[in-house]
Amino acid sequence: MDRIVVIGGGPAGLSAGIAAAELGAPVTLVERNAFLGGRPVEENYASITPYLEDAAMVMGRMEERLRAAGDVEVLLSSEVVHAAGDGPYGLTIRTPDGERVQEASAVVVATGFTHFDPGRETQLYGYYEFPDVIALQDLEAMLKEHHVVRPSNGEAPRRVCFIQCVGSRDRQIGNEYCSKVCCGVASKEAIEVRQLLPDSEVFIFYIDMRMYGYWERQLYWPAQEEHHVQYVKGIVTEVLPKDGRLLVRGEDTTMGRPMETLMDLVVLSVGMEPSPGTRKIAGILGLAQNKFGFIEAQQPPLDTVGTSRPGVFAAGAALGPSDLEDCASSGGLAAARAVALWRQHQTVGAR
Amino acid sequence: MTTSAVNVILSRKERFEREPDRRSEDFHHHLFELEAEGELVVQRVAGEVVEVPTKYGIAKRIPKAHLWHHKSCGQCGHIPGYSTSIFWIMRKLGYDYLDPEDQTSCTAWNYYASATSNQAAQAAVAVRNFAAAYETGFFPLIHCGTSYGHYKEVRSELLHDAALRAQVRKVMERLGKQLVLPEEIVHYSEWLYAVRDEIAQRAVRDVCNVAVTVHPACHYYKLVEGDAIYDPDVYHGQRTAAVSGLVQALGADLRSYSTFFDCCGFGFRHILVQRDFTRSFSTLRKIEVMRAEADPDVVLTHDTGCVTALDKSQFAAQAHERNVGVPVMSEAQFAALAMGAHPFKVCQLHWHSTNYRPLLEKMGIDWRAAWAEFEEDAKRLSDGRQQFLTWADVDA
Repeated sequence: MDRIVVIGGGPAGLSAGIAAAELGAPVTLVERNAFLGGRPVEENYASITPYLEDAAMVMGRMEERLRAAGDVEVLLSSEVVHAAGDGPYGLTIRTPDGERVQEASAVVVATGFTHFDPGRETQLYGYYEFPDVIALQDLEAMLKEHHVVRPSNGEAPRRVCFIQCVGSRDRQIGNEYCSKVCCGVASKEAIEVRQLLPDSEVFIFYIDMRMYGYWERQLYWPAQEEHHVQYVKGIVTEVLPKDGRLLVRGEDTTMGRPMETLMDLVVLSVGMEPSPGTRKIAGILGLAQNKFGFIEAQQPPLDTVGTSRPGVFAAGAALGPSDLEDCASSGGLAAARAVALWRQHQTVGAR
Repeated sequence: MTTSAVNVILSRKERFEREPDRRSEDFHHHLFELEAEGELVVQRVAGEVVEVPTKYGIAKRIPKAHLWHHKSCGQCGHIPGYSTSIFWIMRKLGYDYLDPEDQTSCTAWNYYASATSNQAAQAAVAVRNFAAAYETGFFPLIHCGTSYGHYKEVRSELLHDAALRAQVRKVMERLGKQLVLPEEIVHYSEWLYAVRDEIAQRAVRDVCNVAVTVHPACHYYKLVEGDAIYDPDVYHGQRTAAVSGLVQALGADLRSYSTFFDCCGFGFRHILVQRDFTRSFSTLRKIEVMRAEADPDVVLTHDTGCVTALDKSQFAAQAHERNVGVPVMSEAQFAALAMGAHPFKVCQLHWHSTNYRPLLEKMGIDWRAAWAEFEEDAKRLSDGRQQFLTWADVDA
């Protein structure tokens, strides 16, 4: 029997699976990891932006909703490896028990993003050279353990800074897009560091802060007014070792002068890139991708989930940088579109 | 105390594997396509070949032998032991080469320093030299970092600009030559990297106690950066592996310093119009930082401008009692010394300004005896018993 196959068990995939099942369609959700929850669980996010709720708990609630939603089959440690047909599709799924073919009346691709690897280009930030240069997701994992330290010596950092737009908005690297969430996530983490280490000083070096919608009120102003996070306009050019600490060198564009300041912990606000799974599934299903490798929606702005293949919809960060709210919304829309197709196939089959 | 998160962070940093980058075109396809269309001739890499990793994962093929040495103006003028060391190493390893007499300057000085000349003239000079190599059957090996970076830019221009190709072809026709581009543009330090293990096997001097800092040349890895060698085993693939990879293979004590990314100070325009800036930059930003942070016995680089700037600038700084005094040479000279080359007949260290003698002593080289041998040779030349030194003399 035809089912709706959702590929990816992160926020967008869970949202799509829940919506499709609640609308009455049978759902098979395929997840490459041995667990559901996507990046928030895989990377040990402490809390979700902007509400600061425990990430594992939020994703756990999503999983419970999915499993309670109806006819839902969850295949963990599994991957779609082949697709036959022009829609509906016969998807070959590799599971721990071997390969099987699943007939799908519609497919939702929710294969998500990967964090920009800060070693790929930004050698001047020294991510792979200095233990105390970390990325947003590294700090998230430490925040989850309520234990933020300098990896080099295990001591609590006194001065912490975030460097924004690492791997985003960078024509030199080729990522000519804003990753949307990093400003909010950095501000959220800055608040959490200040809460955990009240004696610390926390700085955010930025080109311009991009706080969409309510994030301005939820994160940006509280970070400054309640938690005394210091925002410095100007991009950092290099991070160097000095006297056992990290010398952050760059330009303070408000003051119009070069800047050098010592830090104990440098957090790179890395942007989003298509996940390996997104690139792979785009190839298997023959989906058009944009120049950055994300799956290309065919008729934006008002159809944000339709892809170049009939019956295949994309959701969440597989389409481009997205926050959790965007992922949940596009997951729901993709599910609605998929269910509509599934119903058409049921009707045709019944005749 | 470490936590699981800290352990994950540290383990994530243990190894870096660079993904292919969409910006970095693999020019080979385009090159052979144009050849098939009759637009140009490609001189192919032949014989024994070593594939080396470049920044974005495109394999680069380095031929081991039968190489045409495109020398450097700076080597010839300031550091003659530089090119002699490269030749000497090739001879010791048994690889044939050609030291051509009809090579011209690449004229990139015009391009970078003063913006004189023009695109077609610059490209024509490059192609003229490539064609000269092609006619001999030997594959070009570029000694100078500036020429190397410039030629890679020229290659890109020629591949993408049909009008430029037509202009250059016209010039070549007048010279009776073809529009030739080599399959790879290879820097001599890439060749040294490719044969680094062979060099290490032939080393006769223990350099494990020698502290080395490396200055990677800007024109080597900051221009057309996707074509420079990066090795995951050298600085986690975060810095070019040229020079450092050889130092590691020789077993020397490779030390880092914070201003590794900075220019040597040479630049181009200011070496001509603001020489004091070059001198102060070389000493304050490079040599003094190395002294303070790494205390090296020697600085190795792989471009003649860099050797010259870092070496000669210290001479003036000594008068001002700055914290300088680090010998500077190419990694070819250092490798040759490790392999037993004569410090004066081959490496010609007497052309260098900074005191290299403590380094030689640390390497177990009796520089007094070597100098006496060299003076003996020079005497034979001055009194007319011999016209010039030969390879037989340098190994005597």
